[in-house]
Amino acid sequence: MTEIMGRVWLFGDNVNTDVIHPPAFYSLDPDKVRAGLFHGYDPEMQPAIEPGDVVVAGRNFGCGSSRETSIRALRLNHIGALVAVDFARIFFRNATNNGLPCLTFANADDMTRLHKGQRITVDPDAATLRTEAGEEIPLTPPGDFIRRIWAADGLLNLLPQAGSAPQL
Amino acid sequence: MSGRTISDKVIDAHARDGDDTTLYRLVDVDAVLGPDATIALLIDDFERRGLSIWDRDRVLLANDHFSPPATAERADISNRFLAFARGQGIPNLMLDSGISHQLLVEHRLCQAGGLIVGADSHTVMAGGIGACATGMGATDILFTLATGTTWMRKPNTIAVRFHGTLPAQSSGRDVVLALLALLGESGAQYRCLEFHDESTPALCQDDRFAIANMAVEIGAKFGVFVPDQTTVDYYVARDGELLGTLVRPDADAGYERVIDLDLSELDARVAKPWSPANVVPLKDLEPVRITSAFLGSCASGRLSDIGVAAAELTDRRVHPDVRFVVIPASVEVFKQALRAGYVETLIEAGAIVEHSSCGACGGIDKGVLGADDVCVSSSNRNFRGRMGHWQSRTYLASPRTVARAAVRGVLAPDLYRDVGDQ
Repeated sequence: MTEIMGRVWLFGDNVNTDVIHPPAFYSLDPDKVRAGLFHGYDPEMQPAIEPGDVVVAGRNFGCGSSRETSIRALRLNHIGALVAVDFARIFFRNATNNGLPCLTFANADDMTRLHKGQRITVDPDAATLRTEAGEEIPLTPPGDFIRRIWAADGLLNLLPQAGSAPQL
Repeated sequence: MSGRTISDKVIDAHARDGDDTTLYRLVDVDAVLGPDATIALLIDDFERRGLSIWDRDRVLLANDHFSPPATAERADISNRFLAFARGQGIPNLMLDSGISHQLLVEHRLCQAGGLIVGADSHTVMAGGIGACATGMGATDILFTLATGTTWMRKPNTIAVRFHGTLPAQSSGRDVVLALLALLGESGAQYRCLEFHDESTPALCQDDRFAIANMAVEIGAKFGVFVPDQTTVDYYVARDGELLGTLVRPDADAGYERVIDLDLSELDARVAKPWSPANVVPLKDLEPVRITSAFLGSCASGRLSDIGVAAAELTDRRVHPDVRFVVIPASVEVFKQALRAGYVETLIEAGAIVEHSSCGACGGIDKGVLGADDVCVSSSNRNFRGRMGHWQSRTYLASPRTVARAAVRGVLAPDLYRDVGDQ
């Protein structure tokens, strides 16, 4: 997976999927889904997002509903990666399954070294985050299994061919 | 080496290979649950890839989010979902029959010892009858529909042991809110919560469903009750016999943590906006004027919940400033509530009884909140903006507390004191 370069959007703990993507924006229409990202939290945010921007958050990011519209909204806005202290289980699966890298800080305290709007580079495979100032912040290596899903650009590309057994 | 927990045993029994040293394992599932809103997200991919469902008989699909649809856009989504289900020849398509999680536990597909995945986070509720069930997103569910398998990590387990006697005015909702206060929104993240009910008398099955349902608000992957006589009675009443396997933990099972909860002193609990873990005892709450009361959702829309509300509203009126919406969790529950006379009591008291569906819990329809609304709700989440407007406020509470607040017009600390029963 290639490096991701963008700006930091900073969040706290327990950001749930109803905040990430309010239920009123649930739709099969990509334009409507795209517009809903963080709409209640900050209506100015979505139009200001640039491709490659990175969501940085505290504990338990993405708790709550399993609606994958929250992942679609992040992807439709070209968020490049998410880096958090940790992720809620279903959100982590959904993002990973869609090839959107979720990485965690190797040291939870490192989150305080980042600020909103800062330009950073994330290397998902190497599990590192670099700031513009050249500071390197270690992330937790994702493991081969997760790397395989990223490399395939999502779980669906690992579906077995007709007639063959599924494998990990 | 220590013994195995329930989730250890269920995952081992469903793993494709015998190697339990790998972090992620490919497992076979026994059943897949699919509600309309999430299944609709995967239909295009499923059809474009020319996939077929691995075993139609093991799939339960239900239109519970948009039932019936409130807008033209949702009607189109609903029609797409129904056309997919019919086109795939799914025998267990439950049309306008209630909330999928309730329909699952009413169905023979859900068995003790089973491993079940569903396209909605509250799938975990089937743990109330000894199944390891968990929620996932559309992409995971697509993979499982096509292969009958999924990837899974074996979670660590936290054992929660209930002791003492739950006071008559308290319910499973108060128990799980107390647990949320203790563990927080991520206290069981990636873990299995294994509930050992050693209280006397044992918790009723509806209370167990409420507790298992909200295990996901604590971050849990499974929230599973150790099966006992209450479990067996439920299956025998439903299927005529016990068909599943009662999987119990080993006596020396390895737990990450053991929590002992004495239910004897547990009085009413309330979760304040905007987190299910923002819990206080009701008696410590500042009085809050409410405009809306909601009894329903997969967490608490079952017969005993509706019965409690009917008892509270007998010969009383819903406060004139309050809209009280009641939604039975399934049509089967609705029919039982009709036969018991609960629905008539509620309507006579001024409540609105709506068709079995998710309703306003997810901000969908049948009582969505406006900016100035303050709601006391028996649903499972009070996240900001979930039930409607970003400025609206939702308090979570037990069905009894919801009903009492609906009568008083105030979520008040003395809701129980003034009737002299707590």
